[in-house]
Amino acid sequence: MKAIWHVVEYDFTNFFRYRWYIIGLIAMNLADLFISAIVFTQMTSIVNYFRFFAPGLAVVGLFASAFTIGREINMEVRREIHHYLLSLPMTRTELAVGRVLAGGLRGMLYVTPLLITNFVVLRLPTLSQLLLILLTLLLLAIGISGVSISIAVSTMSFEKFVTARGVVYYMLFFCSSVFYPLSIIQVLATKGLQPLVTFAEVNPLTNGSDLIRSLLLDSPDYVFSPLMILNVAVFSVIFALVAVLAYAKVLQRQ
Amino acid sequence: MAQVALFGLIVNKMVEGAAVEAGINYFQYYVAGVTIITLYSTAMFIGYDIFEEAEHGVFEYLLTLPVSRRELVLGRSIGGGLRSFIYVGPLLGIVLFILGVSNPLYLLIAVAAMFLFAFGVSGMSITIAVAMKSGDKYDILIGVLDALIVRLSTTMYPTIYMQRAMPTYAAIANFNPLTYAADLFRWGTGVEGTLQFSPLVGILGLFMFFFAFTFIGVLFYERRLEGGSWQ
Repeated sequence: MKAIWHVVEYDFTNFFRYRWYIIGLIAMNLADLFISAIVFTQMTSIVNYFRFFAPGLAVVGLFASAFTIGREINMEVRREIHHYLLSLPMTRTELAVGRVLAGGLRGMLYVTPLLITNFVVLRLPTLSQLLLILLTLLLLAIGISGVSISIAVSTMSFEKFVTARGVVYYMLFFCSSVFYPLSIIQVLATKGLQPLVTFAEVNPLTNGSDLIRSLLLDSPDYVFSPLMILNVAVFSVIFALVAVLAYAKVLQRQ
Repeated sequence: MAQVALFGLIVNKMVEGAAVEAGINYFQYYVAGVTIITLYSTAMFIGYDIFEEAEHGVFEYLLTLPVSRRELVLGRSIGGGLRSFIYVGPLLGIVLFILGVSNPLYLLIAVAAMFLFAFGVSGMSITIAVAMKSGDKYDILIGVLDALIVRLSTTMYPTIYMQRAMPTYAAIANFNPLTYAADLFRWGTGVEGTLQFSPLVGILGLFMFFFAFTFIGVLFYERRLEGGSWQ
């Protein structure tokens, strides 16, 4: 456990090296909420878009920050920093688990101001609701970190990593209820796009953002279901395992 | 492409009522806006190249070339704009296929204005890059600028709704080069019957944007190049 903690600490220190990038990212997220979402609120009567989008924004931020760990690992693989990492007194599995956890925890750190914004603009949760939200977001962040690491170790090229990141981003975000209600996506089923609808329904980002909505929006359209957490947990376990195995294997091979 | 296909189509459903009220087809409105956003983002890349050149010592090589400083900066600004057009080319082709062309002359004028816009954005990116010594600060400024300049423009939504949401947003959008470029592109493809501004005002706005940033960029770049002050 101590070794894993050291890896987490190492990655946390690295995270603060990107403070300018993070500040830019937060500014962009807040501009999305306080400019775009306010304007879209005037354009749609289906939902109060500002209130609807605030939980989605937290998930957007969580995704972007948890994904940064992959960028670092890809760079380490390319620059062969793993030789140094392999010389450390810890097992490869400890190293891999530490990195996946660090990616998730960095996501949680970044999402804190966005979550506080949610509590300010929507409402304060009860203690049990807060714990439920934090647990779900942590699971989601670990899963995203796993996806990011799996991609990072699959390619030596930074360009390919960035391209894969873009594909994953667009697939997961635009086919989820982060930006628009699931009921609107479900209309696509009538146009022969049922696979997209199914994907959106099981998408962990849909479940993550709808879970926050069900707890903070007090709307009959969003009802909490334990299946939401189960869905996110399954995603998290699968991708955390894939990442640990892939990372440990890449270290061994090199 | 995914943004156009998924986000555009689904948001189109979400804002159907507003689109009817504003007299637009939101999907068409949006795809035209996305083209301008992409053009803007790719034209901004040139600033990162400038930082990389300073880091890797390419500046010294550039200074040995038999071209004046002014030619060098103008060339970079135009090169940055042109390459962004090449990048946006496939998307532009698809968007034109979706929107259709009602008046080729209007489209030609709009594309020429978009060239001016891309050169201006490259000039702006160069100006910011050479005015800053730290790549980190450049990164954050570009991030914040991108967040504000795109969202406070008519690339994603008509001014009427910005006015309703916050009159200040609409006022800022009226002076935003992205608004001019997006409106002109829509005018060129016949997406909108009526424009926020007359096309002449839009073209004038883009001319001013291009000249301001290209010449400020030249001045800054020239000064930074002298005496190795970029290091």
